[in-house]
Amino acid sequence: MTTLSRFEIHQPTCALEASQMLAHYGEEAGIYAGGTELLLAMKHSALNYRHLIDLKVVPGLNSIDMRNGSLEIGATSTHRSIERSPNVQQHQPALAEMESQVANVRVRATGTLGGNLCFAEPHSDPATLLLVLGGSVKIESAAGAREIPVSELIAGAYASNLQPGEILTKITVPSAKPTHRSAYMKFQIHERPTLGLGLWLDTPDEGRTFTSARVAVGCVCPFPTRGLNAEKLLTGSHADVEKRLSEAADAIADAADLLDDHEGSAEYKRHLIHVFLQRVFRKALGESLA
Amino acid sequence: MKPLSDFQIVNHSVPRGDGIPKVTGGAIYTSDMVVEHMAWAKVLRSPFARARILSIDASAAKAQPGVIDILTGYDLKGLQPYYGHGVKDHPLIAIGQVRFVGEPVAAVIAENELAAQEALGKINVDYEELDPILDVDTAMAEGTPRIHETDFADGSFRGFDDFPGAAGNICQAVHVGWGDVDAAFAKAAHIAEGEFYFPMVYAYAMEPYVAIADFDAKGHLTVYTSGQHPFMVRHDVAHVFRLPLNSVRIIVPYIGGGYGSKSYTKIEPLVAACSWKSGRPVKLQLSVEEAFLTTRGDDARVRIRTAVDARGHLVARQATIHLNTGAYAENSPMVCRKAANRIVGPYRIPNIKIDCFAVYTNTVPASSYRGLGGAQVTFPGESQMDELAEMSGSDPVEFRLKNLAHSGESIHPGMRPIDADIPGDIREAAKMLRMDRPLAPGHGRSVCCSASDAGAHPVTLAMVQVYADGAVSVLSGSTEIGQGSHTVLTQIAAEEMGVPLEKVRLIGSDTAVTLFERSTGASRTTTLMGRAVLEACREAIAQIKVMAEEVFAVDADKLVEERGGLRHGGKFLTWANILEQYFKMEGCSIVGRAYLRKAGDLTLVPVFWEIGVVGVEIALDEETGKICLDSLVTIGDVGLAIHPAMTEGQDLGAATMGLGAGLFEELIYDGQQLMNGTMLEYRVPRFSDLAKNIDMKLVQNRDGVGPYGAKGGGEGAVNPISPCIANALYRATGARIRTLPLTPERVWKALQEKKGAAPR
Amino acid sequence: MNVSFELNGKQTTLEIEQRESLAEVLRGRCRLTGVKISCEAQVCGSCTVLVDDLPVSACTLLAYEVRGKRVTTIEGLADDSGRLHPLQQAFLDHFSFQCGYCTPGMILAAKALLDENSAATDAEIVAHMNGNLCRCTGYLPILKAIRQAANQLRGQK
Repeated sequence: MTTLSRFEIHQPTCALEASQMLAHYGEEAGIYAGGTELLLAMKHSALNYRHLIDLKVVPGLNSIDMRNGSLEIGATSTHRSIERSPNVQQHQPALAEMESQVANVRVRATGTLGGNLCFAEPHSDPATLLLVLGGSVKIESAAGAREIPVSELIAGAYASNLQPGEILTKITVPSAKPTHRSAYMKFQIHERPTLGLGLWLDTPDEGRTFTSARVAVGCVCPFPTRGLNAEKLLTGSHADVEKRLSEAADAIADAADLLDDHEGSAEYKRHLIHVFLQRVFRKALGESLA
Repeated sequence: MKPLSDFQIVNHSVPRGDGIPKVTGGAIYTSDMVVEHMAWAKVLRSPFARARILSIDASAAKAQPGVIDILTGYDLKGLQPYYGHGVKDHPLIAIGQVRFVGEPVAAVIAENELAAQEALGKINVDYEELDPILDVDTAMAEGTPRIHETDFADGSFRGFDDFPGAAGNICQAVHVGWGDVDAAFAKAAHIAEGEFYFPMVYAYAMEPYVAIADFDAKGHLTVYTSGQHPFMVRHDVAHVFRLPLNSVRIIVPYIGGGYGSKSYTKIEPLVAACSWKSGRPVKLQLSVEEAFLTTRGDDARVRIRTAVDARGHLVARQATIHLNTGAYAENSPMVCRKAANRIVGPYRIPNIKIDCFAVYTNTVPASSYRGLGGAQVTFPGESQMDELAEMSGSDPVEFRLKNLAHSGESIHPGMRPIDADIPGDIREAAKMLRMDRPLAPGHGRSVCCSASDAGAHPVTLAMVQVYADGAVSVLSGSTEIGQGSHTVLTQIAAEEMGVPLEKVRLIGSDTAVTLFERSTGASRTTTLMGRAVLEACREAIAQIKVMAEEVFAVDADKLVEERGGLRHGGKFLTWANILEQYFKMEGCSIVGRAYLRKAGDLTLVPVFWEIGVVGVEIALDEETGKICLDSLVTIGDVGLAIHPAMTEGQDLGAATMGLGAGLFEELIYDGQQLMNGTMLEYRVPRFSDLAKNIDMKLVQNRDGVGPYGAKGGGEGAVNPISPCIANALYRATGARIRTLPLTPERVWKALQEKKGAAPR
Repeated sequence: MNVSFELNGKQTTLEIEQRESLAEVLRGRCRLTGVKISCEAQVCGSCTVLVDDLPVSACTLLAYEVRGKRVTTIEGLADDSGRLHPLQQAFLDHFSFQCGYCTPGMILAAKALLDENSAATDAEIVAHMNGNLCRCTGYLPILKAIRQAANQLRGQK
């Protein structure tokens, strides 16, 4: 068995204390939120922390509440708890559904949304969907708290924009309004998805026109990426949007830095974006995929 | 022959002998074992595919707390450090050179795993990098240096007579042929010709390689190992340490999967050397990632052409097979031999010319993989059968039926005639798959078959102990690797001795206790060990009959054998009663034994023909190229199923393994580095890959040389699955793909080309 | 540090190192070797144990995490009289294993599902079990066993 090298676990009582601990131990310390990615990386000596700051013991950080029209999800909420949360199921069902398909049951039982976002594994599902749902994150440190959109949290593959001593404490996701349509789909060959595609549409008239759209792609590129040019093509009448889906798919592919790797060639990934934009569009509108 | 209805235990799906331990956590595998005063080893592996080792400085590592000793290639004085049952080319740890990324260079022996692991980073190895030789073409090109600079001695268990490779980097060359292929091709009505590629695969036995070695104070060596061939391991280890056979005791508890990957010797000489050097019992437990770097299957490039005459009869097949064997021979010479034999398929082909080469490269050593060369060559062979059927204007099933060898016919001159009803099997599979139903869009069906010369070299010795209290023990050198040997062998003993199954205990896989059994592989255990156990029971009974003359005080010819004992008039005594009355002492037992060798009806090779017959219906997502199985049918032509449920389980398991290589499995090298050697990246079949409809059938014609007419199973269905999927894909789309695995992207690209459109 | 938890129904306190995985502690210290180690990456499920009835990968979960929780391993599934859990019996009845290395994890993962939903459909079973690998059986015998146990558990309710 590959064994972990020695480290010390610290138990902060609040986010501020966690931040102080992080600042104190500097590069020797890491936040321990679920451990699914962190401990794997430590087993392979990709990370060599001597101190783990256990965010899970901080009271209140695993709550999931509706406040001011938004879901407020504590950073240490597990994928499973989000998947099962009546609040999430009711107010943002696309999020609940995506969470129910993250990795496998064991990862969902221990892995946390905050940990997932901070670790920024290129093949993870949540960030891609949160980009289109308009998710934001609350970041706390001794210097105070700030709230940034998920897009600004993402710095690159395995890299977040958290500054030293900063801790992600909360994810805020606006609840779905009756005019919203959203869906997330993935295409999976290996253990981790080959493609993730999230789509959000605002339709005042039951899907006849779309006044606003957000689309993001993940897994095919180093980090989840919005297709801003594609979003313009995805507004207008249903018929027009449907006609422009192929153009929009190319726009998404152009926006993403498509990788040639053993998951597939960039060419194939571009093709998958085409296929899955069609599918996710129909899924978001509740149309049959058969 | 005893009718099926007379069997009380054999041919019944009795509870597994290893069932309760395996569902309660009580089953102990080598990875679960600890021995008193045991130390742990961890291995430092080469970062280079080909390099000279200039020096190793382990002094800092040795000074680490908890570290007991370090083993390197400089410490092997007095040993014969090169092992190998086929070619003695494999150093137990790198000596002066490394030949693949991942080759063991040093081992740390420490009080615990953590100390051993942490000390690895303190070992400094100075390498001189050499240009790696990573593919077969480079390896065979003129002027390419030899990966092994010396010629190595043949091991004593090659298992066949071909000479090793002539020179250069050819590890083994095998040529099979008869008739005149050139003349036949010249006259042929249709010729299918192509180049096929079967990928580099990893068996993923879920228990990674593990062994515990313990040299005792008298110099006797005990090794607990997850290896599936204890007697082959004994041979290699005894050779390395120059020990007599009775000084080496190999014990194999339950094995967490093998599929060929645990055949022959793997880490045992290294672990034994760690114990020899440190004076401690030492356990080495590899991680799965290290197992990826230990053995894989040979990937194969096959250039093949096959011809038919105007009446649709096969007239010739010619093939050149190149196996990428990696850095050491392991069992690839045998894979080479078997690939050459098995590419002929179960057909009458009057003209054959096969040239097969196992070629050394600086990659992970390849060795046995379920089907032993069969999967690699059935893919091209059966793909071409469908191509030729189309050229001949025939239905693929009818085309096969026209050419299949019938029972008693020979497909290889000089070898055992076919001992199976392959045409009947194919007809049945086609019927089960309901080939005549219309196909939905994106769907395609195919039925494929294979015939493998199975059983390996038949030397199998067994003992049974019959106790005076009615108990029976079977002492067998066959390992329980999940195939159910411990169940099947006890069933046979219970049937023969006429005792309840619960009275039979299996004592297994301890070379100090059980007699020689060459191997547990090549689907041989039921056929050979099963027959040896049956004969050992009969031999014990023969002994008891002599004793019975005294006990009954009558001549033997007056005694009538009934199930479980002897009758004289109204008096019936069980075998146990007779023993009890003969010895007049509690606790006695006698030994019955059987020594099978290549003689009598086991003279002809193969021991039996292992038949694979499968049918699939695929459902293709034409947009993504993803293939799913709608239906899977398997036929197990096994002579007699000692345990029907487990026999079907072998067919489904083998078919599923074949599905992996057919659809997703492939080890990918980028330069000298294996890129996907973790289970996060190497994709094996999972629950969601299960076919929607599964139908399995056993054919029991009792036509084998095994007990009651049984033959082996478990490796048949792995072979024809991938061509079956490729043929079904062709039926669905018209796209013929000759490279595996049929990943979504590969299928999509083929469909794009088929449409004539340049891929977007 | 000391961790106190309920292990297979018995209150247990162990001195552990913080770096130790639950699998190391259960296999090494408690000799509960039904916890099997394979991929070490949360892919295969052979180290599955239940923590507060949820399946987790013991190879990648710190033992530290089970403070005050209930841990169930395969060794804790049969009742005190040794009578097998319906899943264990079903795995025997359907020959749902060969080498047996994945079996403890399979049974525990299935138990977590059936405890929550004994009316699980085939699709739900496949979705739940998709993170547990078996290299021997081809999965169908496992699916059949889970169906049988589900039927039986529904009958008991």
